[in-house]
Amino acid sequence: MPKADYPPEIQRLILHLKRLQGVGPRSAERMAVALLTGKSGVAMELARALEAAAQGVVHCQICGFFQSTAATCPLCESPERDQTIVCVVEQPTDVIPLERTGAYHGLYHVLGGRLSPLDNIHPENLRISQLERRLASGTVREIILAVGSDVEGEATAHYLGDMLAHRPTGAAPVTVSRLAQGLPAGGGLDHADDLTLHRALSGRRLV
Amino acid sequence: MAHLAALRAENFRCFDRLACEFGPGTTAFIGDNAQGKTSVLEAVCVLLRLQSPRTTTLTELCRFGQDHGFGLSGDLAPAAASLRPPTGPESGPDADATVPEPPCTLKFVWHQGQRRLQAAGQDALGPSRYLARSAVLVWMGNDDLSLIRGPGEGRRRYLDFLGTQAFPSYRPALLAYDKALRSRNRLLKDDRPDARQIAAYTAPLIEHGTTLTQLRHHLVTELKPWAAAAHCEISENPAESLEISYQGSATTDFAAALAASHPEETRRRLTLVGPHRDDVPLVLNNRPAAAFASEGQQRTLALALKLAQARLLHSLHGRPPILLLDDIFGELDPRRRNALLRALPPGSQQLITTTHLEWASSGFQPEYLYRVHQGTLTPAH
Repeated sequence: MPKADYPPEIQRLILHLKRLQGVGPRSAERMAVALLTGKSGVAMELARALEAAAQGVVHCQICGFFQSTAATCPLCESPERDQTIVCVVEQPTDVIPLERTGAYHGLYHVLGGRLSPLDNIHPENLRISQLERRLASGTVREIILAVGSDVEGEATAHYLGDMLAHRPTGAAPVTVSRLAQGLPAGGGLDHADDLTLHRALSGRRLV
Repeated sequence: MAHLAALRAENFRCFDRLACEFGPGTTAFIGDNAQGKTSVLEAVCVLLRLQSPRTTTLTELCRFGQDHGFGLSGDLAPAAASLRPPTGPESGPDADATVPEPPCTLKFVWHQGQRRLQAAGQDALGPSRYLARSAVLVWMGNDDLSLIRGPGEGRRRYLDFLGTQAFPSYRPALLAYDKALRSRNRLLKDDRPDARQIAAYTAPLIEHGTTLTQLRHHLVTELKPWAAAAHCEISENPAESLEISYQGSATTDFAAALAASHPEETRRRLTLVGPHRDDVPLVLNNRPAAAFASEGQQRTLALALKLAQARLLHSLHGRPPILLLDDIFGELDPRRRNALLRALPPGSQQLITTTHLEWASSGFQPEYLYRVHQGTLTPAH
């Protein structure tokens, strides 16, 4: 007697869900069954939302952030933003927390990752040449490097810092800075690990 | 945590399933060679410290033919009463801790290349938080002789194993340095090495390498008196003097040495200076121990280095580490064996493997005794 299993349509759905990051075989199965047995229409709504998002969202050619095909880039095209300052981030999702601070009003540049020779990610795999082209017009006067503080993030910051310090003669000068690292807000010294404290000390400022 | 009260394993090395209990004192595993004794201690080491002294690839730990994964779990029992460090500094961080800790169950699951850690019911923990809930340990085995005779890599591993258990900042520095080093070496091996990319990795290499070197210097300074004292006790010869020191591969500062090695590293396509090339020279009676010490002296020295680990951890944490003693007693002559038994930190939990107990004197009474035969464990009392 052949063993009963899910129909091929459900198996295919499970297979696709399983490919998503952080979804294991069991949760993929639960999600698939929940979608198909839940309130009628939920699955179709999700399907339509997925299709609309997949077809309607692209990356801005200039900054690399998400952009709806129906509209212009909400960052690059905003007249209220300071066009002379660019904040460099690894991923488009890094823009959101920086925006939430409300403390930054300049433009962004998404690299699309960070240098990682062990994963075969080199400068040509990132949006570094696009950044150089953006600077060529001379409007940008300041660059903020807002990359991660792990080994790859450090290396990426050093690479960009070195590249920006050695631009061709005649290019308009730009100021380059990195996000400060230090004590977590509202925390005492005993909550910081040694490396954080070390960097907080070397990055101290006058009061 | 005072001691490991229970261990369970599934699909680990030669064990289909394994479950055993330990007391706070001595547990012995008896069996012929190649029956799985060492694998029991290895399971404890992987569960508590996330690494094995026998291998660096976790796939090897799966049962043969079952390489999709394995699982380990264990219960750490709370400390009954805090034990004082061996010598009386009042400054030990936990010396005055009398608040009983809750028991803690650790789980280590390795499935299709992914590690999943759980401690005290908290799932998907990062390794630092997991290790913070775990216990410290010292592994003593017959291979320890390679600490004296073998290349520097073994002595660096010895320091790193101790350092990650001694100082909270050691492990992050070691991992970051290792990542920077491997990345940099990969770039040096490219067909057309990109100088700017290499320089970008030189910066974190110097930062984390300098931290790591400082920590290792500090570690060796702390270790030195314990090693000399332990060596004296086991050799029973106060005329023998042991000197250990930390020898950096960079004679000037790290950045300068790295710059100076640039032509050579370009030619050999490898980072040639840094903590990964440092060493711990062992000098016995003013002569290098590897070349000039006798076989017996080298065995004594290896034991002394491991005892020093245990005593340093004891003094830092205020309680003795768990000792994993892999088949060492049968190999020692009676004098050294008795000296070692006397020198083991009092009050420590000891898990011992041996092929026979004929060496044991009447005073040696394990609380738990297991026979290990072809991947099965049976209590033998």
